[in-house]
Amino acid sequence: MPSPPVALTPGLASFLKSLKTNPIDTSIDDLISLLKRRQIRHSRSCATATAYLLRSVISACRTSDANKLIERVQYVGRRLMAAQPREMVVGNIVRRVLGLIRDEAEDDREADFTLSDAGSESQPQTPRVLDDLSESLSGRHEGSDRSSSRQPFASLSAPPISMFSLLSHPEPESSLPGTPASASPSGRLLSQIHNKDIRAEVLDGINEIIDELGQVDDQIAAYALDHIHSNEIILTHTSSTTVQKFLLKAAAKRKFTVIHAESYPNNHEATHATVSGQTPDDDELLSTEAFQKPLIALGITVILIPDSAVFALMSRVNKVILGTHSVLANGGLVAAAGTRVIARAAKVHQTPVVVVSGVYKLSPVYPFDFDSLIEYGDASKVIGYEDGDLVDQIDVQNPLYDYVPAESIDLYITNLGGHAPSYLYRIVSDHYRKEDINV
Amino acid sequence: MAAPTSGSATAAKPFDIVATYNELLRSDPDLTMPIAAIEALVLLLTHSPSSTISETLDLLEKSTAHLKQSIPNPIGLSAGTDLFQRYLITTLQRPGQLGPAGDFNAIRAHLLSNGRLFIRRAKESRDKIAAFGRGFVRDGSTVLTNGGSRVVASLLQKAADEKGGPSAVRFRVIYVLSSAKGSVDNSGEPEGMETVRALRAKGVPVATIPESAVAYAMGKADIVIVGAEGVVENGGIVSRMGTYQIGLLAKAMDKPFYCVAESHKFVRIYPLGQYDLPIEQRVIDFKTEEEVADEAKQQQEVTPVVRPVNSADSSDVVDFTPPHLISALITDSGVLTPSAVSEELIKIWF
Repeated sequence: MPSPPVALTPGLASFLKSLKTNPIDTSIDDLISLLKRRQIRHSRSCATATAYLLRSVISACRTSDANKLIERVQYVGRRLMAAQPREMVVGNIVRRVLGLIRDEAEDDREADFTLSDAGSESQPQTPRVLDDLSESLSGRHEGSDRSSSRQPFASLSAPPISMFSLLSHPEPESSLPGTPASASPSGRLLSQIHNKDIRAEVLDGINEIIDELGQVDDQIAAYALDHIHSNEIILTHTSSTTVQKFLLKAAAKRKFTVIHAESYPNNHEATHATVSGQTPDDDELLSTEAFQKPLIALGITVILIPDSAVFALMSRVNKVILGTHSVLANGGLVAAAGTRVIARAAKVHQTPVVVVSGVYKLSPVYPFDFDSLIEYGDASKVIGYEDGDLVDQIDVQNPLYDYVPAESIDLYITNLGGHAPSYLYRIVSDHYRKEDINV
Repeated sequence: MAAPTSGSATAAKPFDIVATYNELLRSDPDLTMPIAAIEALVLLLTHSPSSTISETLDLLEKSTAHLKQSIPNPIGLSAGTDLFQRYLITTLQRPGQLGPAGDFNAIRAHLLSNGRLFIRRAKESRDKIAAFGRGFVRDGSTVLTNGGSRVVASLLQKAADEKGGPSAVRFRVIYVLSSAKGSVDNSGEPEGMETVRALRAKGVPVATIPESAVAYAMGKADIVIVGAEGVVENGGIVSRMGTYQIGLLAKAMDKPFYCVAESHKFVRIYPLGQYDLPIEQRVIDFKTEEEVADEAKQQQEVTPVVRPVNSADSSDVVDFTPPHLISALITDSGVLTPSAVSEELIKIWF
């Protein structure tokens, strides 16, 4: 196992440091093993690491051919996603980078080929044959397979209308001047057209994603005053920095009470640290958070409660504000264990449940099987191995996450604003390309 | 590409759209109502030489209205006619090869020469749905389904098929068979038996239950998958009578309820409830003994062998399942939440 030369505990910081010096393949292997060993685990750390890695991958890829870039990113992305399938942000970032490359490639083509759709079959073809959806379609090259890959190109005049795919034109106009080109291998066609460096544009795009990851909590916090009012009682859970920043922003202007469930056994130490304001000595969190003042320093009453008291106190709570691990396309979410209990209790008391989450956590994956999304953690946190006799006789489980169905959530606040859970599909389709959903 | 056949039609007998539509449905059991409607309209265009846009649109509008009036339940059909009309108008408005600058004859020729293609695509969209939906059927799960939906059948068969994916899914099916007398098809068995047999042939254990046993059986089911005749604007579905109660029961027992439908079944109506559908259904028919006697006497006088109206109709009575009961719609444009349907519809109408 190639270990980073820096003498740090392996984590995000050490990875980012080693990324500059190590060859790219070593870095990929590094991140894979970090993900596998769960040495990077916060969703934002995973997202940041993935974005930085993909930036290096693309800058190391000495080609301006969009197809080659896509293939390369897909290859790396698949390996990363396989390393930790439950860490959905990794896949999200990979998909966004793929979308960036496709957008850039199309921008170029549009500039040169405004008139014809002739080249439209070109780029999604090679990679897409691999995924299982198009396997079933591969029998027909002319029909709707063509029409689905045509859709992005229609966007130069109007939004693609998928319902028309049934009736749309079966093949490009044979009279068009550009048609002969479509017969040639698309890769060559693309690279001939390009004069400017597509890579530079993509790298700019990735830098924007990285910037977004850095700012997302502050952007979300900007909505805090709309949702937290004076003298309200807010219930929250875990030590999510997004939630903390959200509350802090409101605390600067208003006085309210926070009830904080401690989320034993997986997150209680971090939660205690957040509440009391001691610096969490978790080097995975980037340093900015460590300097943050706790809520109590701003004169906010914070009540720390065990998770079991949630239902009892819920009748007094005005609003529940939750952080999340990832958000799924159907509006449901995967969050720290205990979240579902809180959401259910809130439902019983008709208390609004607000979830704060960056758009990067929003995954286009549809949860077919909820159980497979739940990760199980260290059982010794529930019952220590000192109690050997007991451990022998009982089966101890420690789920790290809960799946919370969309019905239990009233509002999502992302860096783009507030959305109803049923609207999330729209944000998904704005952020990810259809052809990338199965990477 | 064939030129518009303007001369040939005049000699033939006047084109009857209703008969064509019915004939299309009869000749191909795999054809859905919207596609048959589109097909009938394409044939109509072949038979009528219209050279201007407004003439064509006018003709389409008249025939559509006529067709809708003559069919007892035009919901599914109107999805097809609307889609066809909107496609025509949108293509004409859009800049590009087929736009106003382009030739109207070009788009006409495209439609006329590709009628078969539309049917093929519509059938292919079932495969596409099956590919999307296969993920919903998990190993070891039990699926509850009803009716004679061809999309559901193809989805389940695909899931059971060894060739359909990396490995066949081992699942069980609870098939709700309609007990109503009218839903017996020509061969004398309830609708859906064909699918049941096909699934059993593939080694899938299938249990058939009557509609009255749905609540009893729901506890054993993991997911519910139903088909639809039309998907309405708010994301609810119009489908075979009995689907609504399955939806309610699934909700009550917290089971995911999925609807499988091709996107050409999206139809622009907004029903506010069961009795707000734009069709006449004599399901709830209050009678006193006097009226029953009167009716019986009348019927004997007119024709002694006529069947009572109710049982003849009950094979295609429908109900409306509101969107809050539906977990997701599995369509050929992906897995959609019910609220995404209105957006798709808005895209074609505005």
